[in-house]
Amino acid sequence: MIKTIAKPAERKIVGCGECRSTCQSACKTSCTVGNQSCERITREQKIEEQK
Amino acid sequence: MRRSSSIVTDMIHVFGYKDKNYVYDTGSGSLHECDERTARYLKGEDIALSEEELSEIEALKKEGLLGAPEPSVAPAKPKEIKALCLHVSHDCNFRCAYCFADEGAYHSVREVMSSETAKAAIDFLLRESGQRKVLEVDFFGGEPLMNLGVVKETVYYAKAEAEKRGKKFLFTTTTNGLLLDDETIKFFNEEMENVVLSLDGRKEVHDAVRKTVNGKGSFDAVIGKIKKFVRSRGDKHYYVRGTFTAKNLDFSRDVLFLADEGFDSISMEPVVTEIPELQIREEHLPAIEKEYERLCDEYIKREEEGRYFNFFHFNIDLEGGPCLQKKVSACGAGNEYFSVVPNGDLYPCHQFAGDAAWKMGNVFEGKIDPALRAKFAENSLFTRRKCGDCFAKFICSGGCAANNYHYEGDVNEPYPLTCAMMKKRIECGMHALAERRSRENSHKN
Repeated sequence: MIKTIAKPAERKIVGCGECRSTCQSACKTSCTVGNQSCERITREQKIEEQK
Repeated sequence: MRRSSSIVTDMIHVFGYKDKNYVYDTGSGSLHECDERTARYLKGEDIALSEEELSEIEALKKEGLLGAPEPSVAPAKPKEIKALCLHVSHDCNFRCAYCFADEGAYHSVREVMSSETAKAAIDFLLRESGQRKVLEVDFFGGEPLMNLGVVKETVYYAKAEAEKRGKKFLFTTTTNGLLLDDETIKFFNEEMENVVLSLDGRKEVHDAVRKTVNGKGSFDAVIGKIKKFVRSRGDKHYYVRGTFTAKNLDFSRDVLFLADEGFDSISMEPVVTEIPELQIREEHLPAIEKEYERLCDEYIKREEEGRYFNFFHFNIDLEGGPCLQKKVSACGAGNEYFSVVPNGDLYPCHQFAGDAAWKMGNVFEGKIDPALRAKFAENSLFTRRKCGDCFAKFICSGGCAANNYHYEGDVNEPYPLTCAMMKKRIECGMHALAERRSRENSHKN
């Protein structure tokens, strides 16, 4: 048995640079890109939720 | 029946977490859960899978979710600056034993940034930000609230100047909380997108290292203020951020203590220090890995019970995380992110501040050392050669340049101990994600 838990969302746009600076998030010692979310996807999700 | 996998590569990471087995496919960024037989097969063991089991694997391969080739993407090399860390105070009202910043002085004189310098930094950022609309500034120290007047003046100046240019600032402050009062809380809630509050956990743990200038533990002096601030924060971002050292390898207790105190956004970082009694060493790793598992189990349990708290390092957003281009481009220090110290000198980030070898310019001159900037612009996952075969590379992006430099003497040389802790946190974050998905699915059904 093997089943998919998660896979990356399809991206309309990549490399837009909208993302926050990695070191601004929480720790300033071991912040990593992987602990961030895409600002664009997050914003679009918020808009969807508000509809 | 096939008896061993033909797709075993370093890019398929099979790992167990208690009775669960997971497969993270590095090439596609997908996470799968599987049974033990499939896990062993994908690890390359000689095991016979049924036709049905093999067909599941083949289906995932066809979808590009298993054994996917490494994606080909060039790192972004932006020419625009998006963020500055303003060291508004190279002084501190604490004397924390593990402070990387020399208890606020950064191996130089104790001083604060003038409003003239802070405004010059804002002008510099606006000028160098090109077409970028959203800019970020974090107020850092030392203790930035020791220079609150300049923080406020800078915020109001930056907002006014940004508005003229159709831009926007997001502000963050990192503080030890000692000088938080009602007026500051109001200002923070009005102006700060994020506030990071330093608190190490249990009183005895916190007080052992975080002392005020008179040598006393600071827990009692800050806990009430930090709680009051967090209660006032509403749905705005904050992190209570702690540091663990060799003295509290049972740091899950500190994270859970913080959660029990009512904080629901928590980060806990391994210390970066060479002080022998505090330094994290390789022999601590088994205990640290177990501790992350303990924390993860409780994190999941509390989420199930409706007592969720956000633990920063378990945030692994596989679906809506950063795009691949961001993931290979590392943190941007020294190219799109800089630190500014009180006299206006620019450094790649706060962890290089004060080291003359890494000075990159000055905000009043408005120029950045082109050779050094080019060096940092080149930094990416692909310049970190040791990361080539690592399953976690598209998540950690080769780690923290400063951490690499301070431990290994090269910004591109990852520190193995940091890597090991990172990998464990990633596995825990993936397990927590799988458990969340499982709960969501059971609620649907």
